[in-house]
Amino acid sequence: MQGYDLVSGGFFVWILEYRELIHILTISNLRIKYQSSVLGFAWSLLNPLLLMLVLYFVYSHLFVTQTKNFAIFLLIGIITFRVWSNGTSSALSSIVEQSSLVTKIYIPRQIIVFSVALSGLISSLLEFVVLFAFTLCFGIIPTASIVLFPIILALYFLVVYGMGLPLAALYVYYRDLNQIWGVIVQLAFFLCPVMYSLTIIPAQYLPYYMLNPITIVMVSFRDIFLYGTFPDLSSILILCVLTLCILIIGALIFYRLERRFAEEL
Amino acid sequence: MTNPRTNRKIIISRSGETDIAIDVSHLTKQFLIPRERKRSIFEHVTGLLKGGSYRYELFSALNDVSFTVKKGEAFGVIGPNGSGKSTLLKVLAGVLYADTGTVEINGLVSPFLELGVGFTPDLTAKENVYLYGAIMGIPTKEIDQRYEDIFTFAELKRFENMKLRHFSSGMILRLAFSTAVQTDPEVMLVDEGLAVGDASFNKKSWEKIDELQKKGTTILLVSHDLGVISRLCSKCLLLQKGKVVMTGNTAEVIEMYKKIIERGEAVENMKRKKMNIITLTEK
Repeated sequence: MQGYDLVSGGFFVWILEYRELIHILTISNLRIKYQSSVLGFAWSLLNPLLLMLVLYFVYSHLFVTQTKNFAIFLLIGIITFRVWSNGTSSALSSIVEQSSLVTKIYIPRQIIVFSVALSGLISSLLEFVVLFAFTLCFGIIPTASIVLFPIILALYFLVVYGMGLPLAALYVYYRDLNQIWGVIVQLAFFLCPVMYSLTIIPAQYLPYYMLNPITIVMVSFRDIFLYGTFPDLSSILILCVLTLCILIIGALIFYRLERRFAEEL
Repeated sequence: MTNPRTNRKIIISRSGETDIAIDVSHLTKQFLIPRERKRSIFEHVTGLLKGGSYRYELFSALNDVSFTVKKGEAFGVIGPNGSGKSTLLKVLAGVLYADTGTVEINGLVSPFLELGVGFTPDLTAKENVYLYGAIMGIPTKEIDQRYEDIFTFAELKRFENMKLRHFSSGMILRLAFSTAVQTDPEVMLVDEGLAVGDASFNKKSWEKIDELQKKGTTILLVSHDLGVISRLCSKCLLLQKGKVVMTGNTAEVIEMYKKIIERGEAVENMKRKKMNIITLTEK
């Protein structure tokens, strides 16, 4: 049954069919997010900067680090990580929070998750703009490798969306999933090279360590923004494969659980 | 195009090849009602440790329901509480999935299960109209064109840039209704409680529905209000405990419905009397 969707290409047809709804839902999400607090938009930029300052202080004064341009190094890690952590957390609660779109009317339910993930992506784009300004201030001139940035970010977005789908669906049935997910996000923060470089990972574990899509994206972004080199092609290919797997598994779980949404909400 | 996951088939055909708007056949929907409702992983784990088993009760909300509605007809669905009216409407709207049976709808469906789905208090009235319109499936261009009409009909032009949070519930309903009728639906699914706003607006909205019906919109109306049903609907369906009791002309079906209610009340009274006798004898 689900194979029908996958094979016939119906898997993504809804994006075209409902593009206006996706557009309006995404814009509305952003409006609500940035209207509700006075500083609104400024907070979403201050947050990663403040975290960067804290970590920078801790690492450059308490521990000794050899990493060059450590502030930028940290900022790339933090912003990249936030795309995933904020994206999955808001996708997780999306269906439950907008339950009337499930119980009172029929729209393809993945649209709700998709538009929330998309508004997260747009917020993070602004963070990347700030990051870019910072790199320029530090005298790092971007190279041609920057053309890969949108492609990798698009793949990363699909990772976030692919993980958001099953999370949103499971949260409908298990209302304490957000607590558990909060812990997992904390754990992931240390499992990803946000504050350390790959050199501290023992060589025999490195291939396994690099199977984490967040890590691949983070390392690639550092290559692009900090070192001005092209990311490793093989790891980009691995990222493509991982993205596809996450997306398919996530969508299958979502479509399975979706049937009884209206009864559970 | 049959959606294999919903058993709900929607044929959008503006040319009238068929004169049937809604064709429901052998629709069955059962709910699993757990004895103990578990809503968290924590409860599931502790439940396992206690050695409790998962027990469900089957509740049959719809049982082999079949009927057809002709194009342009106003069709009423009545029945006592818990007879499956709302479940039927939700299956038709595609919100709930049927277990077996099929639903075939010819034309553009516009579900009015609730007015103002997706309304967001922190957005302005204008933004909400576009949002709600998109949810109801109206293209943005069309809302641009009808924007003035919507606000004129709702009598809210002065407040278009005000946040919905500052609107009264009556104003919100008026705005919602005005937007929703812009869908130009071919098939309208209406739940009861469409009594909107104050008396004058209420009258206006029923006039609008009459007007839509005269234009050839098929209306399926679920209601407790027999007055509204008999005024608007030519055909009716009577549901009881998920089963079709009868379909036919409104007057006959309402007659039957009244009989059922009387009989139900009679049974209730009998039970009550028996109970009284028992309690008396116990004393």
